[in-house]
Amino acid sequence: MNEEATRQLKKFPFFRDLPDETLLALSQKVSARRIARDDVLMRKGDEGDSLFMILDGWVKIVTEDSAGDELIINQCGPGETIGEMALIDQSPRSATAIALDEAEVLELRQDAFLEILNEWPDLSMALIRSIASRLRFSTIYIQKAIEWSRRTAAGDYSFIEHTPPIMKRTGSDDDKAGQLLFAFFQMVHRVKEREEGLKRQLDKLAFEIDHARRKQAFEDITSTEFYSKLKEQAKKLRAQRDQDDSREAK
Amino acid sequence: MSKGKIVSIHSFRGGTGKSNTAANLAAHAALAGKRVGVVDTDIQSPGIHALFGLNEIKMGRTLNDFLHNKCGIAEAAFPVGEKGTDAEGRAKLAGKNLWFVPSSIKGQEINLVIREGYDFNKMNEGIQTLIRELDLDYLFIDTHPGLNEETLLAIAISDIIIIILRPDDQDIQGTAVTVDVARSLDVPNLMLLVNKALPNLDHEDMKSRFEAGFQVPVAGILPLTFDVAENASRDLFSLRHPDHEWSRALRAVAETVLSID
Repeated sequence: MNEEATRQLKKFPFFRDLPDETLLALSQKVSARRIARDDVLMRKGDEGDSLFMILDGWVKIVTEDSAGDELIINQCGPGETIGEMALIDQSPRSATAIALDEAEVLELRQDAFLEILNEWPDLSMALIRSIASRLRFSTIYIQKAIEWSRRTAAGDYSFIEHTPPIMKRTGSDDDKAGQLLFAFFQMVHRVKEREEGLKRQLDKLAFEIDHARRKQAFEDITSTEFYSKLKEQAKKLRAQRDQDDSREAK
Repeated sequence: MSKGKIVSIHSFRGGTGKSNTAANLAAHAALAGKRVGVVDTDIQSPGIHALFGLNEIKMGRTLNDFLHNKCGIAEAAFPVGEKGTDAEGRAKLAGKNLWFVPSSIKGQEINLVIREGYDFNKMNEGIQTLIRELDLDYLFIDTHPGLNEETLLAIAISDIIIIILRPDDQDIQGTAVTVDVARSLDVPNLMLLVNKALPNLDHEDMKSRFEAGFQVPVAGILPLTFDVAENASRDLFSLRHPDHEWSRALRAVAETVLSID
């Protein structure tokens, strides 16, 4: 039973790297819950005092839009965790989580979590590591977004040619920053296309030839000795071919 | 009709879709039952070979070999209808009379020509010989962009020159100069082909503006499409996707070229 619980915990990136004995201790603190479709796992504004790990089924994370209608901001499935920030700061839930279908989750309550933290310091390290890596990714993405914003504002869209498109991955909060960057990338693409379209339409209005430059370029090319010879040869060649043609015609 | 018409496909700047257009036009002439040759005289930056299915491994003798007296011109002619039918579009050329003379894509050989140049009379002789030996109805020349000496030679010996341009300021200015040069070299048939025109523009209006501005007939306006860009370097687009808007416009241009007496 305990082995089973340990195995289940290992499915979560959050705990994956912890030694077995830590996971074993942790598994004794979690409780498994089955929830039915439309059951509310947590409600926006409630005090956040536990972390949920989804073993099976899907959960939608919703908030309300300005008209008070439900707005789905994410969907979480097996292997994902919900509400981990609550284990640290106990702040009110920022969104509501509702089961999309029958689901099985593991719940870790904050008091239980704090209890084993003292005994198993690598658990707190795991938590810090997870938060640090998320922060690091977010920082990189934000730096990129700032740089791109500056270049876009300056009319330089070249980065979308040189930067390979970022793959959109569905899923965890971890990837939110990546999704933002992807959306940004697409936005710049569209802006560039629209701008080029407009530019071309404007070009259409200005069919203009600079005749002074045209004359100068023509003279530069035709004033060489090579050109005079070529013109002479071409004339002969054409005359020769006309002759051949008329001979053939007869 | 006189035999062996030389058709030069030219553009003042790169990136107009010149090679792609040249290859597709030549293919349609061959499909119409003509005996057709294509010579890549863009020795400095060859590119059209890929459209005919040639790569470094498949490429045998080249125009460079001929210019350096290593082989006859006809020995460098790759029979596309016989050996180049390994793509969906080109497969339609099976059994057709289409030959392609590639420029070498070996860096060393390209450098040699750039460094030492070549005999223009030799190039001219090669083109005339190719027409005679393969009994060609049409010889298409894919030129190097701009107006360097080898391109001027191609213009000088052409019966028809098709200048490809995009609807933008720089191409318009450069095309005006090319038109003047082609007139000065007495090219009997001169026509423009606008490529990469934004699809939502009024193409008829554009055609009449360009014809009035250059005093040269516009053979067609081909739309800007990413479909062509994606496929172009691997196969002959208008044969692979005959119902595409770009392909239909190109076929109309081919018909215009073939109707010139």
